[in-house]
Amino acid sequence: MEPMTLSIVLAISILLMLAVGVWVSLALVGVAALGLMLSGNEQVGLLFGTSSWGASTAWSLTALPMFIWMGEVLFRTRLSSDLFAGLSPWLGGLPGKLLHVNVLSCGIFAAVSGSSAATAATIGRMTLPELKAQGYSDRMAVGTLAGSGTLGLLIPPSIILIVYGVAAEVSIGRLFIAGALPGLLLVTLFMGYTMVWALMNKDELPKHSKEQVSLKAKIAALRKLLPIMGLIGFVLGSIYGGFTTPTEAAALGVFGALVLAAMTGSLSMESFKGSLLGAVKSSCMIGLILVGAHFLTLAMGFLGIPRALTEWIGTLGLSPLELLIYLTVLFVVLGCFLDGISVVVLTVAVMLPMVQQAGIDLLWFGIYIVLVVEMSQITPPVGFNLFVIQALTGKNILYVARAALPFFLMILLAIVLIYWFPEIVTYLPTTMTQR
Amino acid sequence: DTWHMPTPYGDANLTTKLAYEFADEIREKSGGKLDINVHSGASLIKHPEIPRAVRTGQVQLGEVFIGVMGNSHPVFKHDNIPFLATNFDDSKKLWEAAKPELEKLLNKEGMVLLYTVPWPTQSLYTKFPVNTLDDLKGTKMRAYSPSTSRLAELMHTSPTTVQAPEVPQAFSTGIIDAMITSPSTGANGQAWDYLTHYTDIKAWIPKNIVVANKRAFRRLDKATQQMILTAAANAESKGWEGVRATTRQDTETLAANGIVVSEPSAELIAELEKIGQIMIKEWEAEAPAEIGKILKQYQQQ
Amino acid sequence: MSALKENLYLTSGYLSGACIIAIMVLVLAQIVGRFFGFIIPSAEDFAGYSLAASIFFGLAYTFRDGGHIRVTLAIQHLPRPLRRVQELAVLLIGLVLSGFMAWYSWFMVWESFVFEEMTHGYIALPLWMPQVPLGLGTTAFTLAVLDALIDALRGKMPAYIGAEDEINLEEV
Ligand code: NA
Ligand code: NA
Repeated sequence: MEPMTLSIVLAISILLMLAVGVWVSLALVGVAALGLMLSGNEQVGLLFGTSSWGASTAWSLTALPMFIWMGEVLFRTRLSSDLFAGLSPWLGGLPGKLLHVNVLSCGIFAAVSGSSAATAATIGRMTLPELKAQGYSDRMAVGTLAGSGTLGLLIPPSIILIVYGVAAEVSIGRLFIAGALPGLLLVTLFMGYTMVWALMNKDELPKHSKEQVSLKAKIAALRKLLPIMGLIGFVLGSIYGGFTTPTEAAALGVFGALVLAAMTGSLSMESFKGSLLGAVKSSCMIGLILVGAHFLTLAMGFLGIPRALTEWIGTLGLSPLELLIYLTVLFVVLGCFLDGISVVVLTVAVMLPMVQQAGIDLLWFGIYIVLVVEMSQITPPVGFNLFVIQALTGKNILYVARAALPFFLMILLAIVLIYWFPEIVTYLPTTMTQR
Repeated sequence: DTWHMPTPYGDANLTTKLAYEFADEIREKSGGKLDINVHSGASLIKHPEIPRAVRTGQVQLGEVFIGVMGNSHPVFKHDNIPFLATNFDDSKKLWEAAKPELEKLLNKEGMVLLYTVPWPTQSLYTKFPVNTLDDLKGTKMRAYSPSTSRLAELMHTSPTTVQAPEVPQAFSTGIIDAMITSPSTGANGQAWDYLTHYTDIKAWIPKNIVVANKRAFRRLDKATQQMILTAAANAESKGWEGVRATTRQDTETLAANGIVVSEPSAELIAELEKIGQIMIKEWEAEAPAEIGKILKQYQQQ
Repeated sequence: MSALKENLYLTSGYLSGACIIAIMVLVLAQIVGRFFGFIIPSAEDFAGYSLAASIFFGLAYTFRDGGHIRVTLAIQHLPRPLRRVQELAVLLIGLVLSGFMAWYSWFMVWESFVFEEMTHGYIALPLWMPQVPLGLGTTAFTLAVLDALIDALRGKMPAYIGAEDEINLEEV
């Protein structure tokens, strides 16, 4: 079968399978097996074994169940409501009020976690029930979380920057530093959008009393933040103090959360078991989707579809701007069906020479790629933040995707901004070389 | 026919460049009848899984770092033994001595050896000058395999496992103070961002091998088989030549970017060679028959 | 019978949870070890094996509890008889795919066993040992799908459907 026909057949089969209600992970396994079979591969089963073993034992993934468990533990303590109690006097004056908690806490947690799914799962477990209880718009609560969960990829540490850095031979240390300002830019854009939305949709926000909170009361409220800030500070400190690697820090995070829960008296055998089974449910769901996505990545590698598309773009003789536009479209389309890291892995070998030839700085390109991959985390049908949030809320993927759409557009805007002002990316790394 | 060839490392590495050239040569000489599709950077199959994928015919051929197979037989460790063969001429002699044993093992596992590509010599990276082993005493050195752990112990450092992608951060935050790796790895990873000294101790010269599935290879007609073997021989000789240039260039890159590149002191060399003797003995004890033979062969040349 | 089944599902969940705890303990031991200057051999490798075991052991429990997500937007408005057919079809597809996964997971274990393959880390184990959880987990998963299919054929609502509707937020 021709690659073109084959890709159309596969795209239709996965959409069909998902539409009739086949579980996402199984649909990925199914379409990968189908693709391999249609291409005449005789080792479909063996290849499944190889890819599922490789995908499920990846050492960098061990952080994921740890952070998910941490979220489950914190959710069962008073700490999550304390987080809101501590922040609300401060955010009271800001349009959108507590919705900003999602953006800010994802931004902070992103400095601890390297993945977007872990960030969305950990923070969402704490914030979504509370936002719901306080009467915030479901759609906006879900949207801010889906969008700002992706910060986990951009603000260092970041799994995707490591993958890109190794493939492109760009210093991972520099990539990490380069991600800091664009990360702040995204936080600003997300908060800005939330404020604009809040001003336009006052009726979808809970009515708070208008009374002025005194500075003294504000500072008193901060005390409620101490335990949770202490926990994040402890984990961050362990990374930057040279005691742990970012992957290991996740285990320290759960341990810390368990200790905090015990200290605040909210750790019982019941809640321990509950948190553990909750973590099992989420991490098995995500784990099997990762296994399926990895198998699909392997199938795509054999079929050569992403490579053929990238090569085709290479033959067009585009200017740098045109090239970036084409690549963005390609990534968004591929990102609908593959997870972001797979897209990078499958196209990077063909893409990098092309990008270099166009005179695009590889460091800048790394941050650009992360932004595009962030977008793919919130596009259906295959988007990990959507999966995490569907599992947390029971809301449909398409509902979550629609809620996340404005944030998708904000990331796109960030890409335009770093194109116009590349210094947002390159400024910090250049100061680093002049030490 | 399309053959799939997974390789572990990225496109900037010598071994990957040679894999592409190898594939091009075969495509050209077969008139497009045999198309080898190179999947670099472990994008198709993860590195540790590659030998098994070749063996079971999931892919027709693949490239692997020999040391990855070290647990299946000690012969696969021959190029990871410190201070046994420390220049490219010696390394080639060691390879000639080990090759028959290695081919025997690969054959038993259903694989055919096509060619090997050596890495640049492995040397010492630190955040401080090193004149004798005393300077390293009590520091934390990166270990990623049984033999690097043992070496770190014998150098009186504490072996510390850090996975490759986390090395820059581990140096910056002080999880490790020293590592042994090639000048290429340091240059490609811009090691000057996080460390300052490179002592050219030339500890060992590891290699990659490219292997094919025996059944897939035998199904080809004799002429095509011969064509592949010729292309493989070309790739191998380009590898031994290219690696010298790469070693020189990458060491220069390190120096040009402000890393202090220095030759080891005579005292340090003497200390390290003593460690080498211990590790060679320990290695020989793992499989005296085969390894004794390899060592004898190597020392006679 | 049904009590036994419930216990088996719960066992699947707790086995998976035990592996998650094992990851935490291994990694913490490694951090402590580094602090005091000793090394936990192959800690990363064992954390990786525990991760695989935790993912696969818990598949059946997660399935039963409606944890594996899917798109219900199109199907939730189907008329009842059609919905029943759709659910049977999906379960049949699920049975084929989970069966495929189970069969080839065991095939991989068997191959590792006859080839006498070893793990690649500091501590060399026969590779089949850490791979067994993949076989066990996918088999339990297949049985869970089969169990749901049998329920559906008998006209009962499979357990996962009750669990997957919009519950979590409403619960709080
Ligand atoms: Na991050
Ligand atoms: Na997507």
